[in-house]
Amino acid sequence: MTDDPVLFCLHFLGGSAREWRPLAAHLGPAARCVAIDLPGFGDAADQPGADVGAMADHVAARIRAERPGGPWLVAGNSMGAKVALALARRHEDGEEGLSGLAGLVLLAGSPPAPEPMAEERRQAMIAWIDADPETRRREAEAFVAANVGAPLDPEDHARTVEDVLRANPEAWKAWLTGGANEDWRARIGTLATPALVVSGAEDGDLGPEAQAALTLPHLARHRHVVARGAGHLLPLERPGALAALIRDFIAAPPGTGETPTLPPAFAALMGSERVNTRLRTALRERMREPDGPFCLAPEERATLAACLDRVLPQPGPGKIDLARRIDARLASGTGDGWRYAALPPDPQAYARALRSLDAAAAETHGRLFRDLAGHDQDALLDRAAAGRLPATPDGLAPELMTCWLEELRGEAVRTYLAHPAGLAAIGFTGIGAGGDDAEALPGYRLTGLDAREAWETPILETPILETSASTGDVR
Amino acid sequence: MNLAGQRRYGTDEVVDAVVVGTGAGGAPLLAELAAAGLRVVALEAGPNFDPAAYGFDETLADEIYWTEERLSGGSTPEAFGANNSGTGIGGSTLHWGAFVPRADPRDFRLHAESGEGCDWPLDHAELTPFYDRVEAFIGTSGPTPYPWDEARRFPLPPVLRNGPAQLMAAACGRLGIAATDAPAAVVSRAFTPGGAVPLRKACINCGFCHQGCRTRAKASMDVTYLPLAVAEGAEIRPDARMHGVERDKAGRITAVVYRSGGRDLRQRCANLILCAGAVETPRLLLHLDLATGSGQVGRNYIGHVATQVWGTFAHEVGMNRGYPSSLITEDYVRPQGADFAGGYLVQSLGVEPLTWGNAVARGRGLWGPALADYLRRYNQVAGIGINGETLPCDANILTLSDETDALGMRKAHISFGYGPNETSLNAHATALMRRIWEAAGATDIWVLERVAHTLGTCRMGRDPDASVVDPFGRSHEVENLWICDGSVFPSSLAANPALTIMALSLRTAGAFLGSRTSR
Repeated sequence: MTDDPVLFCLHFLGGSAREWRPLAAHLGPAARCVAIDLPGFGDAADQPGADVGAMADHVAARIRAERPGGPWLVAGNSMGAKVALALARRHEDGEEGLSGLAGLVLLAGSPPAPEPMAEERRQAMIAWIDADPETRRREAEAFVAANVGAPLDPEDHARTVEDVLRANPEAWKAWLTGGANEDWRARIGTLATPALVVSGAEDGDLGPEAQAALTLPHLARHRHVVARGAGHLLPLERPGALAALIRDFIAAPPGTGETPTLPPAFAALMGSERVNTRLRTALRERMREPDGPFCLAPEERATLAACLDRVLPQPGPGKIDLARRIDARLASGTGDGWRYAALPPDPQAYARALRSLDAAAAETHGRLFRDLAGHDQDALLDRAAAGRLPATPDGLAPELMTCWLEELRGEAVRTYLAHPAGLAAIGFTGIGAGGDDAEALPGYRLTGLDAREAWETPILETPILETSASTGDVR
Repeated sequence: MNLAGQRRYGTDEVVDAVVVGTGAGGAPLLAELAAAGLRVVALEAGPNFDPAAYGFDETLADEIYWTEERLSGGSTPEAFGANNSGTGIGGSTLHWGAFVPRADPRDFRLHAESGEGCDWPLDHAELTPFYDRVEAFIGTSGPTPYPWDEARRFPLPPVLRNGPAQLMAAACGRLGIAATDAPAAVVSRAFTPGGAVPLRKACINCGFCHQGCRTRAKASMDVTYLPLAVAEGAEIRPDARMHGVERDKAGRITAVVYRSGGRDLRQRCANLILCAGAVETPRLLLHLDLATGSGQVGRNYIGHVATQVWGTFAHEVGMNRGYPSSLITEDYVRPQGADFAGGYLVQSLGVEPLTWGNAVARGRGLWGPALADYLRRYNQVAGIGINGETLPCDANILTLSDETDALGMRKAHISFGYGPNETSLNAHATALMRRIWEAAGATDIWVLERVAHTLGTCRMGRDPDASVVDPFGRSHEVENLWICDGSVFPSSLAANPALTIMALSLRTAGAFLGSRTSR
C-alpha cells in the first residue's frame, strides 16, 4: 500500500463520528480518518433510520465525494461493521466509484448474520429510547457503561452519552428491529478484502467467540485480535492499541485466514448461561494471541511451528498458532508437574531438539526443516521418533528425541484442546455443565449411550472435518 | 472451605501436633485429634479453594494439581502432575476419582500367600471398623449387596452409569464376568453425616471429578473431615509450605519451619505428623536427613499398573458425562491360573478431552492426520482400565535430584519400572480388557500403558531395619515423628488407595492418642 490511505470510520449504534477522534489522533499520518455520521445519528440525527443497504448507500456517496486518491479502508464499530461488510461486497462486485478498497477494520462488529441479542434486552432498549428525559439519560449512562470493559475517561464517557441522547429514536429502533436482524450472509458470501477483526474479551454478545463464528467465515483473509479487558466500544477503549494494529495491518495485511473460526453452535453455547464466567473468560483468553514473553528465538519458533503443522495438522481455514502458545508456556516456567529424568528442562529440551531437526534437515536436504516439503519433514520426524537422527553439537541426543517428540505430541494436543476451536472440533459439550450459580448447576441429566439432551444436539451435529493426506504413526 | 472463625494458635505455643498435608492421610487424623481436645495445626502447601469457583476445565484445574516438577526415570517412568498429587486444602482428594474399593484381605498377606511382595503388619479385620466409619462419614454410593464383600453396606445407592459403564456391563454379562456399579465416594443423594459438616447435594453428573467438584457431591477432605476438624478446634493454615524442622539434643522435633507469604515461620510443636504423600513426605525426610538411619526412606516406591484399553463404538458414548468410573469388577483380584502374585480391579472409564487427547498423543503414538482425525472420534470412544498390584523392589526408589526448586529443596527423582510380576499381571489384564472390549463391540482397539498412584517410600513394619515407621505410623527413630499417608503402604494392594489411607488415618490417630495416655 502507498502512504496516507484514507480510513472511513463508521460508528456503533448511538455513536457518531466523534467516536473516532481518539483513534484518529493516535493514527497520525499513518491514515487519514474520515468519520461519518450514519443516517439518524450524530449530526445526521435529523435523518430517519435506514436499513443496512441504505446506510451503505449513504457511506458510498460520501466515499465518492471524498474521491480518495489512493487506497482506502473502512472501519466499523459494531453496527458500523455490518455497513462496512456491505460496502466491501459492493466493492468486490465492481461497483463504480468504490474501487480501491484495501482493507476492512471490524471492531466488535455486527456480523452478516442476524445479530445475537437477547430479546428481552432488545425490547428494553426499544422502550427506553422513547421514555422521559430522566429515564433516557439514566439508561444512556447505563448503556455506555455496560458496553465497556473498564470505565471510559469522563470526557469520552460524557460525549458518548450525549451522542446516544441526540440519536434519532427512529434510527435507534430501525437498527434494533431492522438492520441488526437483516440476514446478509448469502449476500456477503466470502470476501477477499483483507480484514482486521478486533473483539473485546469483556464484550457481551459480539465477543471473541461470536466474531470467530459469525464474522471470520465471511473473510478469506483475516487477522483476529482479542483485546484483553476491553468491551464493545473499542475505538474509545483502546485507541492506541488499535492504531498500532491498523498500522501493522496496512503494512502487512493478512494473506489468509490467520486464526480459526468457530462453529456457531459452539460459540452460542460458550456465550450462554450454561458456561460459567470463569471458563468463558479463560476460553476467550486462549483465543488471544500471546504477546510474550517468549523463550525460543524466532527461527527456533518457526521450526517448532513447522513441526507442529506435521504433528497435529489443523484442517482450517485458519489455525491455532500452537507454536506461539507453547513458546509462551515455556517462557512462563510452568509445567505439567513432571518430565523424563533423561531430558533437560523443557526450554533447553525444545531448543536443542529443534536444532537437531534443523541440523538433520541441512545434512539431508541442505535446507532448514521449515523449508522442506511435508513428506520430507515427516520422514525426518519418523527418524527422530525412532532415535535415528544424527547427533548434533548443541542438539538433543538422538535417543532423547523419542522422549521429546512424545512430550511435543502431548503438549500440542493439550494446547489444541484447551482452545475453543479444538473443543468444538471434537464436539465437546462439557463446557455447558453449568454456569455461575453453583447451587443450581444443571450438569447432565442423561449419561447413557445414545442419550443426548436437547441443548447438546447442535454441538454434536456439527460436521466432523476429515484431515486429508496420509497418516503418521510412530509405532 | 470456610476457615473464618477457626481457632488460632500462636507460633510460639507448643501445639500438640503439627500435621503437614490435608489430604486423605492428614484430614481424618486432624479431625480425630481435634475432637479429642488436642491443640493441632495443619500446614497445607496449597491455597484454600472455593469449590464453587472451579471452572469445569482441565487447564484451569492445574491449580489443584501438584505441578512442581518431578523427574521420572526407570524403565516405566511414571507421569505426575494431573495424574497424582494435589495441592490446596484437601490435598489430592480435590482431584481424586473417588473410586473407593476396599482392600482385599488377601492383599494384606501377599507374601504369606505367594512368597512375593510384603505382608502388612496388621490384620485386615482390624481395619474393617475404620472403613465402616470412613464410609458412613464421607458418604459412599454403591450397590448393596456388594458381590465381592457381603458385609459391605453403602449408605447411598449407586450413581448413574455412563456410556462406558453400560458397554462394559453388557460385555461382562456376555462373558460371564460379574460386574456392578462402582463404589464411589460421590453422594448420589443429598447427604450429611450430621454435626458440623454441611449438607452436600446429590451429584449432577457433570463428569469433572478430576477437575474439582463444584457442587461438593464428591467427598474431598475440604467438604468432609476438615470442616469437622475446624469445628473441633483445629487450625488449618493454607499456603504454608513446610521445609524445615528444629530439633533438641535428643533429636526430638521441637518446631516446624514453613514458608508462607514469602517468609519463613516457625511453629513450635510436641509432635510432627507428616501426611504429605509418598513423594513429598520422603522428599522432606531426605532433605532434612530425618529418620533416615535405616536407609529405608524413599525405598520401595510402588504404584499401580494402570493400563487402559480404548476402543471406538457405533454409539454416541459422550464419555465425559456422568461419574467417570461407574462400573467395577473385582473378579480378577486373584485370577485363576495366573502366573503372578496379586491381582487387579477393572473399571470402566470416561475421560475429559485433554486427559484423553494427551494419552492418545503420548501413549498411542499417533501424529499427523491420524492424530487429528482420531481426536475427532472423542464422542464415540470409551475406555476400560485396571488398578493392579506392583511389588516393591530395590530398583524402584525415590531419591533427590541435583536440581533444586524455588525453595532450594532438591527435586524428587523417582525411578520406577515393572518387574516380571507386573509384566505378567499387565499381560493378563490387557488380554482380558481386549476380550471385554471386543465383546462390547469396540473397533480400533488400542492399549495405553500407564502407571498410577504414589505409594511406599516410608513403609510401616515391625523391623526398624526394614521399615521407616511402626505398624501404627510412628517413626522408629524419632520418637515424636509420625507418618500418615500412602508412603506407609508396605504393598500397593489391588484397590485404589485413598479409602485405605483414610481408614489408616483414623487408626493412626487412635494410636497417637493412645501413646499420649500411656506415657
